[in-house]
Amino acid sequence: MRKALFTAFVFLLFLPLLKAQTAIPYELAVGLRVQKTEQLYWENGVGADFTSDFLLQKKIHLKLSYVTSRIGSAFLSNAVRQDNVIIGADWRFRSDKDFQLFAGLNTGFFHADMEIPKFDVLPHNSMLLQLEAGLFYKFKFPLATSLSVGYNVINGDGVNIPGTLFPVYYQLSVFYYINK
Amino acid sequence: MKNSIYILFAVVAVIFSSCNPSPSLDDKTMLDYGQISYAVPDSLNKHLLSAYLPNPTPTQLNTPVIICAHGYTATTFEWDEFRAYANTKGTFYVSQVLLGGHGRSYTDFKKASWEDWQSAITWEYKNLSDMGYKKIYLAGSSTGAPLIINMVKNHFFDQYSLPKGIFLVDPIIVSSNKTLTLVGLLGPVLGFTTVDLANGEKGHWYVYRPQETLKQLMALIDLTRQDLEDGITLPTGTYMKVYKSEKDETADPVSAFMIYKGMRTSSGGNIDVDLENSNLHVFTRLEGRDNITADQRALQQKVFAEMEAKMNQ
Repeated sequence: MRKALFTAFVFLLFLPLLKAQTAIPYELAVGLRVQKTEQLYWENGVGADFTSDFLLQKKIHLKLSYVTSRIGSAFLSNAVRQDNVIIGADWRFRSDKDFQLFAGLNTGFFHADMEIPKFDVLPHNSMLLQLEAGLFYKFKFPLATSLSVGYNVINGDGVNIPGTLFPVYYQLSVFYYINK
Repeated sequence: MKNSIYILFAVVAVIFSSCNPSPSLDDKTMLDYGQISYAVPDSLNKHLLSAYLPNPTPTQLNTPVIICAHGYTATTFEWDEFRAYANTKGTFYVSQVLLGGHGRSYTDFKKASWEDWQSAITWEYKNLSDMGYKKIYLAGSSTGAPLIINMVKNHFFDQYSLPKGIFLVDPIIVSSNKTLTLVGLLGPVLGFTTVDLANGEKGHWYVYRPQETLKQLMALIDLTRQDLEDGITLPTGTYMKVYKSEKDETADPVSAFMIYKGMRTSSGGNIDVDLENSNLHVFTRLEGRDNITADQRALQQKVFAEMEAKMNQ
């Protein structure tokens, strides 16, 4: 009986959301991302962007991305191999227009590959906390592009945080809308 | 809207009117003031081997000699203890170069480029090579390290007697203070930065760091990092060892990893790296610091002994 009541409660809780999802369109875009860190590496990768009317009429966008120097500066070079897994949320200004502005907050995980056990004593993992702002443009066809600048609030200090986690980065992304 | 434009205009005006401020230089005990100078003949003649031993005998020419280059804002003082160690052992000579623009005055420092800093090392190396020294080594602490790596990259040694070995102590390829990566943007507004020195360090280091020199430092380490990414090969027969503190609030310890990845011996082998259990920057210099521990002293002596042993191998 308690189990049935709980199931009904959960159903009622999510009913408006489910209705919204079926009744209101959403946008899901996937794409490529190029990142340049100020005074450091090129790190490239992939990203996804999701929004829906239930996210305040598409004013909030949820993001997921992975960028790495392995297909950037560290490709065929001695640069440090490092990976960034990032999730975040943006607030879109002019969300009903083709040309939008955005500001957001990201978090995630950073890993620098020390390769040799001797260097494992150096800090090589860190949580990410980023502030990001930029421009976003939707084309008439199902493509969009964004240009942004970000700031790593947590950055290397020579003691506890990986030394190749630098503060300022720039990103260029190109997205394809898979539901348009 | 109109008010916003006025406010924006006022902010921009304040920023530009305060651009590139200079510090007030009124303390004569500061190196920045210009009254104390390491660049006077008395000091140079005391620190440079080419000057204090101008006519070496054949035996002396066969004795190992090591050119020691100090770091950014420092002076020859940084290698005084190694010189004292060498004097007690008598098995090798130390030549302490004073980097260009350093040890003089704030004004001299401000106008010097990193190539000027480096010129003191190349000048002494050329002298010792021309004099006939056969076993020349180099040691670079902090910024001294990328200056020496740059000489290797540019094949400077090809025209002289090749160095037998290179020792790098707390080399800087990446700064621990990541705000420095923004010096190109913020520098003109800041004008200069200031450091706190211990009482024993006063008069041996600059207190003020002009933004122009910070830009030079960042240009040097950025260039060196990129050169290491491409790979640098040591001259034939040249040995290299890096000593790096595991925790260092000036030169990020990842610098050691970058050098390890980027440098190769002439036969394609890896260089040697020791990560030391230390939180000091340039841990081989203890003089002038507050509260030195027995462990720090032991580490210093261990590294000095290792360098001596390598040079007399």
